[in-house]
Amino acid sequence: MWRARAHIELACVAVTAAALCLALSGCGVATRAGAQPAARSVRVTERDFRISGPRTLTAGNVRLDVENQGPDQHELLVARVGGSATLPLRSDGLTVDEERIQAAEVGSLEPGAPGARRQLNLRLAPGRYVLFCNMSGHYLGGMHLDLVVR
Amino acid sequence: MHTAPAFRPFAARGRWTIVAILVTLAAVSCGSVVLSIRATARSQHRAGVVVVAARQRTLAERYVKEVLLVRAGEQADPALTASLLDKSAHVLLAGGEAPSVNGDDDETALLPTSGRTVRAQLTQQQRLVRDLAATGSAILAHRPLSGVRLLAGEHVAARDPVERLRVLAALTANVALNAARTIATTSDRNVNQLITLQATVGGVGLLISLLLAWALVATTRRQTAHFRSLVTSSTDLVMVFRGARCRYVSQSVLRMLGRGEGELLGEGFSGLLHPDDRAHLAAMLASGEPAELVLRILNRFNEWRHLDAHVTDLRHDRHVRGIVLNARDVSERVRLEEELTRQAFHDGLTGLANRALFRDRLDQALARSVRSQELMSVLLVDLDGFKQVNDTLGHDSGDQLLQAVARRFDEVVRPADTLARLGGDEFALLLDGAGEAQAESVARRLIESVSKPLELDGRELSVNASVGVVVHLGGHGESDELIRHADIAMYAAKDAGGGAHRIFRASMAQEYGDMLELEHELRDAIERGELTLHYQPEIDLNSRRVVGVEALVRWESPRRGLVSPGEFIPVAEATGLIMPLGEIVLRDACRQTAQWRRDGLAGDSFVTWVNLSGRQLSAGGVSDIVRHALDEAGLPPSFLGLEVTETAIVPEGAAGDRARAELQELHDQGVRIAIDDFGTGFSSLGQLRRFPIDVIKVDRSFVQGIEHDARDAAITANLVTLAHALGLLAIAEGIESGGQLASVRELGCDLAQGFLFARPVPADELGKVLADGDFSSLIDAPAGVG
Ligand SMILES: [Cu+2]
Repeated sequence: MWRARAHIELACVAVTAAALCLALSGCGVATRAGAQPAARSVRVTERDFRISGPRTLTAGNVRLDVENQGPDQHELLVARVGGSATLPLRSDGLTVDEERIQAAEVGSLEPGAPGARRQLNLRLAPGRYVLFCNMSGHYLGGMHLDLVVR
Repeated sequence: MHTAPAFRPFAARGRWTIVAILVTLAAVSCGSVVLSIRATARSQHRAGVVVVAARQRTLAERYVKEVLLVRAGEQADPALTASLLDKSAHVLLAGGEAPSVNGDDDETALLPTSGRTVRAQLTQQQRLVRDLAATGSAILAHRPLSGVRLLAGEHVAARDPVERLRVLAALTANVALNAARTIATTSDRNVNQLITLQATVGGVGLLISLLLAWALVATTRRQTAHFRSLVTSSTDLVMVFRGARCRYVSQSVLRMLGRGEGELLGEGFSGLLHPDDRAHLAAMLASGEPAELVLRILNRFNEWRHLDAHVTDLRHDRHVRGIVLNARDVSERVRLEEELTRQAFHDGLTGLANRALFRDRLDQALARSVRSQELMSVLLVDLDGFKQVNDTLGHDSGDQLLQAVARRFDEVVRPADTLARLGGDEFALLLDGAGEAQAESVARRLIESVSKPLELDGRELSVNASVGVVVHLGGHGESDELIRHADIAMYAAKDAGGGAHRIFRASMAQEYGDMLELEHELRDAIERGELTLHYQPEIDLNSRRVVGVEALVRWESPRRGLVSPGEFIPVAEATGLIMPLGEIVLRDACRQTAQWRRDGLAGDSFVTWVNLSGRQLSAGGVSDIVRHALDEAGLPPSFLGLEVTETAIVPEGAAGDRARAELQELHDQGVRIAIDDFGTGFSSLGQLRRFPIDVIKVDRSFVQGIEHDARDAAITANLVTLAHALGLLAIAEGIESGGQLASVRELGCDLAQGFLFARPVPADELGKVLADGDFSSLIDAPAGVG
């Protein structure tokens, strides 16, 4: 605890000068570069432990508006699948073996906090796809959605 | 001036600024400590959450293992593990003691978790823990899993119960760790925010403190500068004393005195003070009582500067710790006052004391003498013949003479004596503690000092001074009386012929007292024009016609009535009033004669005779006065005759020589000269021959006895013979009877004058006498008839 406090105080001293400048200069607001306009916007919702969204789409550019409704964190992976709709699992038997489907993966979003809204731009060729969350147990817990692109 | 604030640059505003700085710094420190404590608490909490969340994963995996063990017939207690899971899940959400799992784990105290997201995750974890436990129980009880109602929204596709249990355990562990991670990141973020906040607060506090301090310094500097400018630029003189030593003097003091700081600080200030003021200042500095005092201090040019100072005690003021003198330079005012005083008590011409100051000094000396019985002497000095100088050489010269005389006198007297000019040519001297001998010695020296030639407009002249001395023997005395007595003594000195001194004696009072009074009246009479001229005709005994008149001055005093010339002329001579008087007579006589001439009443041989006093002659300058009178009247010199006394022209020495020279000069120009009262003096015939004379006047005293006294007749006869022998005319005056007239005719007198012919009459009446002009019947009448 003393160590932590000393650390804080050291930081405090060190940051003082910088803070002064910061306080005076004000906070700069970074401007976000405009996202590339997508042809279509498709809404995808994640929650414990389900993914909701369209089951079919026409091929081409598509933007997924992904909303995590929680309560847990979720990621989103999109993989093109062949004949089989089931994905191969790792040895733990709980998560999809992403290395094995790496070639088939067309897009992904890192784990997002509950309440987050994110976009995922995809160029989808006709075929069968799976949208899933590969956090520990989530895939098996029901977080996967089949999508057919024509 | 109100000084105190000027010495307190940190007063009021400054004090509040310091308080504000301290408060700001204290607030910033408190804020920092609070923030640190909160940051520390959060770190602890985060660590606890991570530990407990990690333990949840362990518990969930152990639960799966224990269920499998139990199902395989081994010994395990999955129910306990389930309860630990449930308990821990609750503690993570609501705070409290997390249960120890292996016994060697510390019990971990957690705070209730805040934050909507994290609470939702932990609630979900609780549900998953229950789903896990329910599933495990169903497996152990060999109930179909389809009957287990899942709470957390799972849709586990696996048919295998164990796989299903493992998925649930994974979900449980995952959400717990996610929650822990969320808490960790948010508290990391919080800690960062805290550090930023702390730094900002510290920085802003520091900034505010710096600003305040800067303001304080600026204010102080401004106030100091203000004070300094007040003190340095104002004409107020400020001095600060600590004890008897001067610690501070303002620039204005240095400027006023033209001295350096080094000369004034310390003991220097007192050293430059007037010795009389040092004790006074020292007393003021010792007492510190508010007071006003006047100090005199020497400036660079060794002139006294007068300071009007006010004392303020600031010894207990820690900014000053001394006694403050605020002063103004009042030298100019003092000088003006002194000048006015000097003018009121000094004579503007000579710079000596005036009459008022002399009287004051005399009164003071007399007052002292009542107690001390001390002697004193008063000397009155009058210059003989000063009027002459004034009239002949002009007022400027007269003034210069007075100044020169004043300087001479001043060299004689001691500094303690009071030398004054009372007015005109009258000086006075008060000698404190001087008796008769000393006073006489001073009187002699005064007379001697002006008898040495004085340089005046390139001319050298010497003055006679008459000194009257009165000695006061101590005790009670009146200044008026002393001055009067000195005046009488001075008359006695003048009466003795001038150039001498006399000590007042009681016997003089009677003798000269009346004379003094007469003098004052005569002086007034001259100024008021109370003196007039009457004229008495002179008859040529051969032609029986009026050939001239004698001008006789007549004084009709409003108080005394008609005053005889025999009474006032001696006084005028003794006092010098004869000078203005003689001049008036000359002027009037000349003017009147000129008038008669214009009126055709005065023929070419007509002569108006005017008496000249011995004083007038001996004073010198008479020829100028006569010429001036003639010029002014436009009268030829031959119409004027001057009657002089034998005694006036006989004396040997400078005065006699000058008188004779001046008469000669006038005579050469045509002015007639007659010897008055011839035969009463002691002139020798030899001397008489040297005089420029036209007529010898036979004194009335001889004429009066001429009928009956053989001696008077003989003297008269001799005089007439003498006159004729010298080629002069003889005139008999005071003819009052036919017998006298017959006698003088018989003795050969050429001219006659007297009541028998005509009394002295005013000028306008004389006109008639002149017009009638013939006294034949009178002269030819037999003797004894009249
Ligand atoms: Cu998920």
